[in-house]
Amino acid sequence: MTDRVETTVEVEAQRSKEAYFTASQRQLIWARFKKQRAAMVAAAVLVVLIVSGIFAPFLSPYDPTIAGRNKDYTNGAPQFPKFCDKNGCSLRPFIHAVERERSLKTNFRWVTTVNEDERNYVTILPKGDDYRLFGFVPGNRHLFGVQEGKIHLFGTDEDGQDIFSRTLHAIWTSLQVGMIGVFIAFVLALIIGGVSGYYGGWIDGVIQMITDAVRTVPAIPLFMAVAAFMPPELSAEARFFYISIILGFIGWPTLARRVRTHLLTERNQEYVLAAQLCGASSAHVIRRHLLPSFTSYIIVDLVISFPYMVLSETALSFIGLGLKDPVSSLGVLLQKATSADVMLNYQWYFIPVLFFIALVMAFVFVGDGLRDAADPYSESQK
Amino acid sequence: MLNFARFVVTRALMAAMTLVIVSLVVFSLMELVPGDCAERYLAFKNTQGSGISVADIELERQRLGLDKPFLQRWALWIVNAFQGEFGDSCILRVNIAQLLGDKFWLSLSICMASLALAYIIAIPVGILAAASHNAFLNNSLRIVSYLGLAMPNFLLALMIMLFATVYFGETLTGLFSSEFRDAPWSFAKFLDLLKHAWLPIFILGWSATAFALQTVRALMFDEIGKLYVTAAAARGVHGRKLLWGYPARHALGPIVNSLGFDLNRIFNELPIVALILVMTDAGALLIEALARSNDQQLAGAIIFLLTASIVALNFTTDVALAVIDPRVRKSIIR
Repeated sequence: MTDRVETTVEVEAQRSKEAYFTASQRQLIWARFKKQRAAMVAAAVLVVLIVSGIFAPFLSPYDPTIAGRNKDYTNGAPQFPKFCDKNGCSLRPFIHAVERERSLKTNFRWVTTVNEDERNYVTILPKGDDYRLFGFVPGNRHLFGVQEGKIHLFGTDEDGQDIFSRTLHAIWTSLQVGMIGVFIAFVLALIIGGVSGYYGGWIDGVIQMITDAVRTVPAIPLFMAVAAFMPPELSAEARFFYISIILGFIGWPTLARRVRTHLLTERNQEYVLAAQLCGASSAHVIRRHLLPSFTSYIIVDLVISFPYMVLSETALSFIGLGLKDPVSSLGVLLQKATSADVMLNYQWYFIPVLFFIALVMAFVFVGDGLRDAADPYSESQK
Repeated sequence: MLNFARFVVTRALMAAMTLVIVSLVVFSLMELVPGDCAERYLAFKNTQGSGISVADIELERQRLGLDKPFLQRWALWIVNAFQGEFGDSCILRVNIAQLLGDKFWLSLSICMASLALAYIIAIPVGILAAASHNAFLNNSLRIVSYLGLAMPNFLLALMIMLFATVYFGETLTGLFSSEFRDAPWSFAKFLDLLKHAWLPIFILGWSATAFALQTVRALMFDEIGKLYVTAAAARGVHGRKLLWGYPARHALGPIVNSLGFDLNRIFNELPIVALILVMTDAGALLIEALARSNDQQLAGAIIFLLTASIVALNFTTDVALAVIDPRVRKSIIR
C-alpha cells in the first residue's frame, strides 16, 4: 500500500519536473510571477483600474464633460449611498435629497442643505447621457443612478461635473496617452536599438553616443520645451495626440538601450551562429531567432516604462502645457486639486490623486514582479 | 600618471561631445518655434504704430545675423554658450546670462543640497537595511521607495505648506524674505536663504532619497552575499567594521556613478516644485519662458545649463571614481 503511494508521489514529481523542463518561457514567467504576493495584488488592482477605465462610460453615472454637469450641486461634497437614517432602514440604498439656497438669510452665498426626510433611492441601469463604449458601441444605460436628481460618489467640482465620472474617464485617457507614447517610443527604440545592437562596431558607438547625450537632458524641461510648440488654439483631441507623440519621441533612449543590450548578448549566442551557418538570411535570423528570444524581456521593459509616461503626462498637464480642462486626464484632475481653497474646503478633489498613486504603484509593482519573474536566475538567488 | 591624464582628457572630450550633441538638439528646438527674433522685434514696432514691410523684416534678420545658414548660427551659439554667453532674449530684451545670473547658481545649489541630503539619508539606512534580515524593515523601505516615485512631489509640497500655514501661521513660499530679496549677498541674506530653502531641498530630495535607498540597498545586498565578506567574517571581523570595510567599499562605485542620474531626476522636479513654492529661481524662469511667454532663447539656455551641470557631475564622478577606486585606477594605469 505504502509502496503504491510513494510511486504515485514519484510519478507526480516526475511529471511536474517534466512540465518544468518542457514549459514555454511564458509559462515559466507566469509560474514565477504567481509566487510574488505583492506583484499579484498589484496586478489585480491594475486589472480593476484598467477595466474600470475601459468601461468608464458605462460605469460612470454621468458624462464627464460639461454636458453631464449638475448645476445645482457645484463644489458638492461626496454622497454615499446608505441603508439607514433616522426614519428607519430600507433594503434599497438611498441618498438624501439636497436643496440649495441663496438669499439674505445665507448672506447671498449658495448654501447646500441636506433634507434628511426626503430619500432618493439608488437605481440600477437607469437611462442617462448617451455615450459610445470603446468609441463605437452606442449606449445610454449606466450602471447606477438615482431616481431623481444626481448622485455624486466623489462629489463635484466647481462646474458641477461629477468627479467619480471624471476619474474613471481620466484613468482611460492617461492609459491611452501612455500606450500611444510607449508604442511610439518602442518603435523608435526597436529601430535605433536594433540597428545599434545588430551591427555593432562604429555604428553602435555613434548611436550610443547620441542616445546617451539625449538621455542626459532632463526629461521634464525637455517635454516642456517641445510642448510649448503646440499652437494654443489646438482642439482637445489634437492636443491629446501631440502630447502622446511628444512623450514617445522623448522616451525612446532608455528603451533603445535595453533593446541594444539584449541584442548584443543574444547576437553572440551559438544558436545564432548555427542559424547563420545554415545559410539563414539576416531578416530570418532577426525574425525567427532573435526577436522571440527576448520578447518577454521587452514586454517587461514596456511595463516598467509605462508609469513614467503617465507621470510625465501628469507633470505636463499639471504645469499647464499638457492636456486641458474639457479632457479628463489624471494630470488635469491633479491640477485642480492644488489650490489652497480646495485643500481647505473641498478635500474631495483629492480622490483622483489616490487613483493616480494606485495606478502608478500598481504598474511599478507589476513591472518589478515581471522583471524578477523574467530573470531565470532570480530563483537561485532567493 | 600619464595614463591617468589621458583618461581624464578622454573623459573631458566625451563630455564636451555630449554637450555639443545636446546643444544641437536644444538649438534645433529653438529654431523650430514659429517666428524668429526679427519678426518679434518688428511686430512690437508695429504695435507702436510704425508700419513695417517684408523688406524691413529681412533687413532686421540681416542685422541680427539670422539670414546665415543654420549650421553657422549653431556653431556661433555653441561657442558662445561654452563661454557662458547666451545672447539676448528677444521677448524680455535683456541679456540672458545677466537675467539668469545668480538664479541659476541658486537653483543648482538647492538641487545639489537635495542630492547630498538624499545620500546622507540613503547610505546608512540602505546599508543597515541590506544587512538586517528584518522583513518588516525591508518591506516598509520598499513601500517608501515606491511612494517616492508615485507620490507626486507637488502633493507633498502642498501638504507641508498647508500644514505650516494652518498650524504655524507661516507661509513657506519663496526663497527670501522681502527685505533680502534684492539685497546684495551677505551672511544675513545667506541665513535667510537657509531658513526658506529647507522646504524645496526636502521636497526635491524626497523622491531622490527613495530611489537612492533602493539602489544602495540592492547593491549592498548583492555584495553582502559574496564570499569575501564571509571570509572576512570568518577571520573575526564583525559589526560595523565588517560592513564598512568590505561590502560598502565595493558598492561605492555604482553608487557614485548613479549620482548624475539622480541629479537628472531632481532637475525634473525643479520646475514643478518652483511653481508651487512660488520660487524665483531658474525652474520658475523655465516655466515662465515656456508656459507663458514662449521665450525659446531663455528656455534653451536653461535646458543647456541644466544638462551641462549633469554632464559636469558625471565627469567629476568618473574622475573621482578613478582616484578612489583601486580597481578603476589599476585598469587605467596599466
